[in-house]
Amino acid sequence: MSTVPSAGQAGALYWPVQARRNVGVRGLFAVVLAFLFAYGFLFPGLLTASGFAKFTQSWFPLALVAMAQAILMLTGGISLAIGAMVSLGAVIAATTMTGPLGVAGGAAAVALTGLGIGAATGFIVVRLRLPAIVVTLAGSFIIGGAALLILPRPGGAIPEWLSDLLAGNTPAAFVVLVLIVLLWKLYLATPLGLSLYAAGENPVGAYRSGVPVDGARIAAYAISGLLSTGAGLFVAAQTGSGDPVIGAAFTLNSIAAAVLGGIGFLGGQGTMRGALAGSLLLSLMISVMFFLGFTPVAQYVAQGLIIIGAVAIPQFRKVQQ
Amino acid sequence: MVTRAPLLAARGVSKSFFGNPVLRDVSIALQPGRVHALLGENGAGKSTLINLLSGALRPDGGTIEVDGYTVSRMTPTYARQAGIAVVQQELSLTASLSIAENIGLGAYPKRFGLIDYPELAARAGAACDLVGLHEPLSTPVGHLPLGRRQMVEIAKALYRTPRVLILDEPTSSLSATETKILTDLLERLRSEGIAILYISHRLNEVMTLCQHVTVLKDGTCTADRTLEGTDAAGLVRLMVGRDPGDLFPRWQPSAPPADVISVRKFSAGLMRDVDLDIRAGELLGIGGLVGQGQEDLLLGLYGAIPAGTASATVNGASGLPGGVPKANALGLAYVPADRKREGLHLIHPIIANMMLPAFARLPALKLRSRRAERETARGLAAQLAIKGDLDRPAQALSGGNQQKVALAKWMPHDPLVLLLNDPTRGVDVETKREIYMMLRNFAAAGKAVVLLSSDTPELVHLCDRVAVVREGRIVAMLDRGALSEEAIVSAAMGAEQRKVAA
Repeated sequence: MSTVPSAGQAGALYWPVQARRNVGVRGLFAVVLAFLFAYGFLFPGLLTASGFAKFTQSWFPLALVAMAQAILMLTGGISLAIGAMVSLGAVIAATTMTGPLGVAGGAAAVALTGLGIGAATGFIVVRLRLPAIVVTLAGSFIIGGAALLILPRPGGAIPEWLSDLLAGNTPAAFVVLVLIVLLWKLYLATPLGLSLYAAGENPVGAYRSGVPVDGARIAAYAISGLLSTGAGLFVAAQTGSGDPVIGAAFTLNSIAAAVLGGIGFLGGQGTMRGALAGSLLLSLMISVMFFLGFTPVAQYVAQGLIIIGAVAIPQFRKVQQ
Repeated sequence: MVTRAPLLAARGVSKSFFGNPVLRDVSIALQPGRVHALLGENGAGKSTLINLLSGALRPDGGTIEVDGYTVSRMTPTYARQAGIAVVQQELSLTASLSIAENIGLGAYPKRFGLIDYPELAARAGAACDLVGLHEPLSTPVGHLPLGRRQMVEIAKALYRTPRVLILDEPTSSLSATETKILTDLLERLRSEGIAILYISHRLNEVMTLCQHVTVLKDGTCTADRTLEGTDAAGLVRLMVGRDPGDLFPRWQPSAPPADVISVRKFSAGLMRDVDLDIRAGELLGIGGLVGQGQEDLLLGLYGAIPAGTASATVNGASGLPGGVPKANALGLAYVPADRKREGLHLIHPIIANMMLPAFARLPALKLRSRRAERETARGLAAQLAIKGDLDRPAQALSGGNQQKVALAKWMPHDPLVLLLNDPTRGVDVETKREIYMMLRNFAAAGKAVVLLSSDTPELVHLCDRVAVVREGRIVAMLDRGALSEEAIVSAAMGAEQRKVAA
């Protein structure tokens, strides 16, 4: 260990760094795999094309909001407006895509809304130095209200071909998810992206090192907004219409998934692959318990206990060290 | 002798915080190819001077010069561009990023907008080789022990190929081997023409490594000279020696001693295997450089942090209290240094702050007697000369009066042992005098007072005995006869290894 020559290191740095990031999430990956086997056993349909498509579609929006939450938690922030953003994305998609804007225009409107609201939230939190939890709580009322203004009751429509493409029997959702993950890897390979960790864990040190701490955090809020409204677009495609309150459950589920995935509340702790695994685990847990015939109440209780356990185990391990 | 313009200089800079002058008319010039030592006691203004030189703070008066030209507005960004790198005492690292990613942070090599990892590996690897860091570059910094993190911090400064390198106590967490590597490295950088400012409390290091020294005392410069022909004792003399005036009450011998606290092989936090006897009727001082474990000693005795011991007697009971309520019951009281966060509840009324320990002692569901509380509080306010309406929030008081409230709240319980953590830090002179008077009176009344202080004159003029702590051990126990600022500072800095017998 102490004799590795630096010349040997110079060639490969990126992949060892990536491999090191797996260390903290190996246990989680094992649990997810176990649940996947259990699920495949209970529901053999998973291995067919349409079964796989349906399964990834049920996971997809949760994966997106878990990423949206995790990127904020990495910077030391949090958002209670994720659910409202999902709803807003859904109603914008449902009201624009069959109108004059068309699918492309509608999708652009959804994306710009997410980026814009996210950036504005980030600006308020970072520049005005207000607590993220309060700003996003207030934001959730405003954004939720805006969704209700646009579409007071469920309605609107998504072109049928889009619904079929995203939520039909094709694994399109999975492909999109893979693309998003690749884009995230690309972002994390930029100086601004990697600065997220430094800005979240040690903002003073990062600032002294010349990191644009404020910029990195505001960018994180913008990306988070984009992922949330994107999840809304997908949910609208799934249901074929817009519902102004459909996103409500996503706020707390996004936090639960991120926490399950090992993202810490203090900033700079955890990995996106962990958050994704956390969202997959949450989504699997819900399905498996459903197949095992748990009543909804028992499902909630079990979900809560598992989340507490997931947070407590690493903590105990740290204390033992 | 070098006659070129200094790479970085401060000319007559002054800085005050909240009207409290920290630096007064200080000048320093960093020449290329020279290791410049900056010495001074705790609170002498060293960190402030570094912050001015690196642009983290702006001076109230005086100028900062780079290459002989006055910089009108020094900022951290400008300092970086001018090739000034600072290795701060608090690390600027991110635990979850790898060594290489930390070293390059804020100055990554880029290709197509992405971090150029091969280039980063090459350059960070070169910096690591300089400081003798051979761990794989992909190791997360969080997995490294503190000393290695310090080396990463130094590598991070070198990665930016500085012209001026400022190191604030770089060796405090380094092993002997790492210190050797660092001194060799600094010697080499010096020969390459880099200007180095070196802050350290280890005088031997300074004597071997540095060529020039600036000594600060109470925010003024007491020496700016070459180190040739100077010895450690001479440097210590330049750092200490303030005229105490009539600040301190006259010292009088106290009653015949009887131990109230006696511990053997006591360990808590940074403190290791300490033997200590605290006597009734005496004022025992705890001295040393900041952060050598003094606070852990007090907190461990008070039961606020886990502590272990071979044998202990506290007020006749055997064993350590092990918890704050138990410690209170045994007659111990602790007044923390950070009164704003630990000592007081700032937004609550003064009276509530004064009554807080009493609340802890009353049966949980007993009704409060507002009248009795008010009477007690008035009595305390009169006794300690706390000015102001008792219903105002504690934050409305001046620092000195806040400290008096933090002390006053323990008075109704008649503690036998007072553990005080730097009670006069940031307190005005008049209040200091009152607090000193109070402490002497406690001791005269047969109580034991343990005074942890970062102010050396206070220890010399007030205490019966002073225990000097260095690196988690009591390295000297100075009796009244042996007490002097020189003796305390020498022991604290390890200028003389010989222990003074208790």
